[in-house]
Amino acid sequence: MGAQESTPRPARPVLACGEVRTCLLPTRDAVDERAAETLLRLRADERVRVSRRPNRCAVSPDVLTGVDCRLPTANGAKVRAIGTVAARAVLTEGRVLQSTAYFAAPADGPDSRRPWGYYLVRPGLLVPVGRLPAAAVAEGFLAGHRPEELDVGSVAESLLARISRAELLDYDTPLNTASTVLRWAARPAPAGSEPSLRFTVGEEGLRTVALRLPEGTAPAAVAGLCEDLALHDWLLTTVGDKLDGVRLGTDDQAAVRKVLGPLVDHLLHLWMPRARLERVLSGLWDALEETPGFTRQWDALAQRIRDQLALRALLARREALDARLTAR
Amino acid sequence: MLVFAASDKGGTGRSVTSANLAYHRALDGDDVCYLDFDFGSPTAPAVFDLPDVLTEAEGKGLHSYLKGKTGEPLRVDVWARTEHPVLRTRPSGSGRLVLLPGDRTGGEFVTDEENLHRCVDLVLRLKREFDVIVVDLSAGRSYAMDLALAATAPRSALARITTRWLVYHRWTRQHVMAAAELVSGKQGIVRAGVAMGHDETALSGAIRFVRAAVPDLQSPLWSQARPEQSVWMHERDRQLEAMAAGLGIGKTRALASIPLEPVLQWREQLITYEDVVDSRVANLETWQAMGDLAQRLGDDKYWGQL
Repeated sequence: MGAQESTPRPARPVLACGEVRTCLLPTRDAVDERAAETLLRLRADERVRVSRRPNRCAVSPDVLTGVDCRLPTANGAKVRAIGTVAARAVLTEGRVLQSTAYFAAPADGPDSRRPWGYYLVRPGLLVPVGRLPAAAVAEGFLAGHRPEELDVGSVAESLLARISRAELLDYDTPLNTASTVLRWAARPAPAGSEPSLRFTVGEEGLRTVALRLPEGTAPAAVAGLCEDLALHDWLLTTVGDKLDGVRLGTDDQAAVRKVLGPLVDHLLHLWMPRARLERVLSGLWDALEETPGFTRQWDALAQRIRDQLALRALLARREALDARLTAR
Repeated sequence: MLVFAASDKGGTGRSVTSANLAYHRALDGDDVCYLDFDFGSPTAPAVFDLPDVLTEAEGKGLHSYLKGKTGEPLRVDVWARTEHPVLRTRPSGSGRLVLLPGDRTGGEFVTDEENLHRCVDLVLRLKREFDVIVVDLSAGRSYAMDLALAATAPRSALARITTRWLVYHRWTRQHVMAAAELVSGKQGIVRAGVAMGHDETALSGAIRFVRAAVPDLQSPLWSQARPEQSVWMHERDRQLEAMAAGLGIGKTRALASIPLEPVLQWREQLITYEDVVDSRVANLETWQAMGDLAQRLGDDKYWGQL
C-alpha cells in the first residue's frame, strides 16, 4: 500500500448507510443468465457474481463514486466527509432489478482533506473530517438529505438508469409497477444487547430501516440484508397494490386476467426470504415475520390469487358444460 | 406509450385537451402521467385543480430536474391532491393519474447532452410505472420540442417505445395554416426530426392533428344564427376543410375534433361526466369527443403512414 501506510488506518466503521431501489426489469419476459451477466457487467476488470441456489441471482461488481460533501444530520451539525460511495446492482430470477448505493464511516478521520490516494484504497468508506456524530448522521440520513448534502439515492438511481438504457431491454413490461426506495442506516449494537431492526413504511414507496448490528458486520453484508428486505417488501407492495384495485367478484374476465395472469407468470415464484444471508443477520428476519408478518401476508395474497384462478377455472368449466347441455 | 402534445400557437387548447385526454385514459384503467414541459407558463396545476402545486414545484419541477438541480422531479398524485370535488373520489377501476409539474420560473433553455440524458432516463423510469406518458410541450418550435425529438431519435433508448405526436390547432384559417407549417414547414417538426436522424416516413406517420374549439354548426349554440350567418358559416367551414385537405391535414390526419365548449371558454378545467349529466353545464358532445380522442390515441388503425 506504499505511501498510504504512513497514515494510520481509521478505526473500523461505526456507521453504514445505504439506499436500495427496487423495480421490475423493463422487459416483456425475464432475462436469462447470460443476459443478466451482460446487463450487470459494470466493470471490465471484475466478473458478475451469479448464484443458482436457492434461486437465480446475479450481482454486479461494485462501482465507486467519489464524493466530498456534507453528510445529512438530524441536528443540523455540519459534518464533511470525503471518500467513495459503493454501488452495485442485483438481478433476481432475471426479473427484479435492484441497485444499492452504500457507504461506511469510521468514528473519526484526519482534520483535513488527504490526497485522493488515501481515500481510493478504502473503497466504500467515507472518512469524516474530524469526529463523526454517528447517531445524528444515521437519523439525518434516514430522514432524507437536504440540498448540498450527500444524496446516495441519486447514485443508486443513476446506476438503475445506466442499466435501463441497455440495448437488450424492450421496455414492454407485462405489468406496471412502482419502484420502491429503501433507506437504511446501521450502527453497532450497544455492548450486551441483541441486534435489532426497525422497519418503517413511509409515503410514496419510501421505506426506512434502522439497524443495530454486531460489531464488525461487513457493510456489504448489511447491504445484502437490506436488498433482501427491499425485494420482499417490493413484492408485497406490488402484489398488494395490483389486487387492491381489481374487482375480483365481477364477471369482467379480461380485467381479472390482465392482473392475475402477469402476477402468476412473473412474481409469485419470487418469494424466498433469507436466500443468501449471513447467519448472524438472518435472525433479524424473525422479528419481521413476527410483526407485521411478511411471509404470512405473502401467503395470504398468493393463496387468494390461486383460489381466484381455481374458482374461475371451475366456473368456466361449468359454463361450458351448461352450454353443451343447452345445445342438445 | 409516449405522447407529445404540440401546437404552433398558444390558446389552442393544447394543455387543457391533453389534460382531459390523460383523465379519460386514467378513467379507462390506464396508469397515466402528465409531464408539463410548457416551461415558463405551466397551466397543468390549474387544469387539474391543484392550486398549491405551483409554489411547491419551485426548484423541484421538471425544469430543475432537467438542469440537474434536483435528483427527482416532484410528482403529484392528482386523485389524492386535487381540490376538484368530483375528482377527489377516484372511480374504481381507474388507473393512476400523476402530474409532474414544471417550475413556474425558468422559462426556455438551451438543450445539451446532459438535459437529453436526464430526459431519457426520466421517461425510461416512468415507462416502468405508467401505460401512457403525456408530455405537454410549449407552443411553437421550442427547445422542449427539440429535446423531445432528440430524445426519441433512432439511436436513443426511447426509440424502442411507441411514440405519438398530437398537434393541436383551432379551426380557423390562420391556425390551420400554422399547424401545417409546424409539421411540414421548413422549420417544422419533420425536417427538424430528420436532421436529428429520424426516419421521415416513420416520424410523419406518428403525427396526428387535433382540432380544438371547433364550432359545431348543428349544435343549439350555432343553429340559432340568422340564415345569412348560417350560410356564411357553412361556406367557411367547407372552405376550411378544403384548405386543410390541401395542406395535408384533412380529415384522415385529424385524430379528433373537439367541439367548442362554453365551460372551457371560461375556465381551463377537466370536463367530468358530472358536468355533463348532473350539473349539465358542459356538453355531452365535448365529453364524447375527449373520450374518442383518448380511445383513438391507442388504436393502431388511426396511426401509421396514410
